[in-house]
Amino acid sequence: MIPEIGQLALTFALALSLLLAVVPLYGSFVANQRALLLAKPLAIGMFVLSAFAMGCLIYAFLHSDFTVINVASNSSTTLPWYFKMTASFGSHEGSMLLWVSMLTLWTALVALFSKSLPLLMQGRILGVLGLICLGFIAFSLFMSNPFARSLPFYPVEGRDLNPLLQDFGMIVHPPLLYLGYVGFAVTFAFAIAALIGGKFDSTWARWARPWTLAAWMFLTMGIMLGSWWAYNELGWGGWWFWDPVENASFMPWLVGTALLHSLAVTEKRGTFKSWTVLLAIAAFSLSLMGAFLVRSGVLVSVHSFATDPSRGLYLLVFLLLVVGGSLFLYALRMNAVRSQARYQLFSREVLLWGNNVFLLTATLVVFLGTMYPLFHKELGLGSISIGEPFFNQMFFYLAIPFSLLLGMGPWVRWKQQTLPPLLKPLTLVALAALTLALGYLTLTQQLAANLALLGMLLGAWVGMSAIGEVWQRMQQLGGISTGFGRLQASHWGMTIAHIGFAVLVIGVAMTKTLSIETDVRMKIGDTAALGGYEFKLLDVYELKGANYGGQAAEIAVTEQGQPIAQLHAEKRFYPIQKTVMTEAAVHARLSRDLFVALGEEIAGPSWSVRVYVKPFVRWIWLGGLLMALGGLIALLDKRYRRSFVAAPLQEPEQTLEPQQSQEPANA
Amino acid sequence: MRKLLFFIPFALFIGLSMFLFSGLFSDPRQHGSALVQRQLPQFQLPDLMQPEKRWTADELKGEPYFLNVWGTWCPTCNAELAFLTQLRQQGVRIVGLYYVQPLDAAFGETFDLKALQQDVQQKLAEQGDPYQFNLLDEHRTLIFDLGVSGAPETFLVDADGVIRAHHVGDINPQNWSALAEAYQQLVRK
Repeated sequence: MIPEIGQLALTFALALSLLLAVVPLYGSFVANQRALLLAKPLAIGMFVLSAFAMGCLIYAFLHSDFTVINVASNSSTTLPWYFKMTASFGSHEGSMLLWVSMLTLWTALVALFSKSLPLLMQGRILGVLGLICLGFIAFSLFMSNPFARSLPFYPVEGRDLNPLLQDFGMIVHPPLLYLGYVGFAVTFAFAIAALIGGKFDSTWARWARPWTLAAWMFLTMGIMLGSWWAYNELGWGGWWFWDPVENASFMPWLVGTALLHSLAVTEKRGTFKSWTVLLAIAAFSLSLMGAFLVRSGVLVSVHSFATDPSRGLYLLVFLLLVVGGSLFLYALRMNAVRSQARYQLFSREVLLWGNNVFLLTATLVVFLGTMYPLFHKELGLGSISIGEPFFNQMFFYLAIPFSLLLGMGPWVRWKQQTLPPLLKPLTLVALAALTLALGYLTLTQQLAANLALLGMLLGAWVGMSAIGEVWQRMQQLGGISTGFGRLQASHWGMTIAHIGFAVLVIGVAMTKTLSIETDVRMKIGDTAALGGYEFKLLDVYELKGANYGGQAAEIAVTEQGQPIAQLHAEKRFYPIQKTVMTEAAVHARLSRDLFVALGEEIAGPSWSVRVYVKPFVRWIWLGGLLMALGGLIALLDKRYRRSFVAAPLQEPEQTLEPQQSQEPANA
Repeated sequence: MRKLLFFIPFALFIGLSMFLFSGLFSDPRQHGSALVQRQLPQFQLPDLMQPEKRWTADELKGEPYFLNVWGTWCPTCNAELAFLTQLRQQGVRIVGLYYVQPLDAAFGETFDLKALQQDVQQKLAEQGDPYQFNLLDEHRTLIFDLGVSGAPETFLVDADGVIRAHHVGDINPQNWSALAEAYQQLVRK
């Protein structure tokens, strides 16, 4: 009964999305106020119905209703309740419904928080979002119905959730990642609405900015959680694998980051317009393409859902309509838009342009690395694969100039900047960075001319520069105590996000260079030494979990005789899925992780044990978190909540006229 | 001119879509192997059941055959044994290339031929024996030269020892027709 109600709710949501896609857009062209006013209730109704459908699916999972095919293939009665809940989005069908819920959630949020937008603009944005919702709800309902029943014959026990997905990280990772992915739909809708109207100005950029920030923030957190999950769950201590699906989430992130910076230029200086709009379209297009790659089976990946060409074809046609249509509209409309603002060669505009160039080069590298095997094969040149070394090397070369520029960016003024006033502070920053990096590595006796040193230097340069710049700004605003409060939230956000990037760079470089590992065979009572730590295998015993069995090991860690920790590593066996899983034991400190994974039992009795010491690996995720936090703080900036009085509807296009004079173009 | 500039993203996207479209209908598991149309690499490997007998590439020539990479430890290989046995009964020549799982001497794992022979005999008795004979590639040299990425994989080799096709994954009644056609052509020659 409940699954049918869920399906019914989703069907109603489809009807509302159809109305939302048609009525307000129609209203915007004939200046019909009543049609435009319908957008908001339609959007909210659509969200309520989709969320209700998701709720019904979760209910079916919680009650182990195995008549539903989706439940039978992805859950079992022995699964703990919280994993039953997450199993609801562990399959292709369920995750598609989650995707729809998130998309309608964003649409409803736009409807609720767009009071400051002119009615015409609001109607167009919601109409475009309605079109996208229509495509995805129809896909969920007709091509991958999560509520499909297997009556009259149904299994008494489900096939259980893939053990890899039975982890805390998997509870929060997909919702956050999807919030980020589909969040770019909002920015996309803003861009399309503006393209339809044909007007771009700094007001448009100021409307689009908070939504882009929010989507970017969620995507950042989603990617970081995914990386953290891989580290804990896969048992080989890796945190990023350049897997096609990881790349599919990384590309929108890179373009989204470029978009954030380009939007800043468009908002403050009214230039880079055509560029910004293209990025807004690209960010969402790459999200869509990611969805296509993951769900169509075009690329092979550990993450891929079961493949089905008809689903792939549907998504490809949808992709063609949405992306092709918007790029065509872009080509028709954008060539008439010209930017007036002038700027010198050494100015913040040019530095942000540099930021965009590097971020897009990075996107291109990821794109080519991911798609090249496909191109190569479809051109009849045979199968090849592109591995980690390619990506690592390319990102190594890109990160150096990018970090150097980033250290300078915030210091440089809009329009033009002369060099002399910057020489002193930048020299100080460089000296501080040198002292910090060399000092730390010397103290820990790890100083060598290698990647770790380079990463430390670059990270310290970016970090010190961000701190120094904020310090100087506070001085200008009347000292630290008053300046602290008077500095805009968006400035704080930027500084924190930049520090986050610095932390990330240091983490990656240190982990890549200085990690050590060993594979040892241990009997109970044996010790293994690695990186100054002694690991002693105390005990191995049978494990009995709710839906798994296996073995657990207790390992005592000492450093120069001093006890540090007792680690608990597990090797689980999930009988329903017949899968063996490693639950690594991690002892985490800011400066290093101790990572122990229990391997096979070998006759003896002894066990193979894998031990890693990974310096600074926490910094990678800490950096990501700081970046997301920076996004959150910037989102709280007062100016995004300032309301604009909507102009009367009689002259539709007039409502899009610039209102930028209200906002002084400062900082 | 400036107008055309703005059509570049659209044009690029359309080009990309064509690739995606054709990618949709090709199985990413089907390899166009770099070795197809080349000679089978030289080797000298013992027979799994009679290790004193050593096979070379030249001895296998004279009649087209399938070289099937497999192992008793590989569930998919076990699943295809029954179908391959049917094929053998129809007169198709299949030579096995036994894939020994990596052993780690550090963990005291040593190669035990007796146990392996027993294991293989038992498996073939249960599931059916499609093989004319099995090559034992203990150090995985031929497997490496062939660029095998996993088991099961199958190579179609013609009478002159030239590789004509490379199939990744199991052979089953659904995908057999393409290979059958290629095999029939070689037999007719």
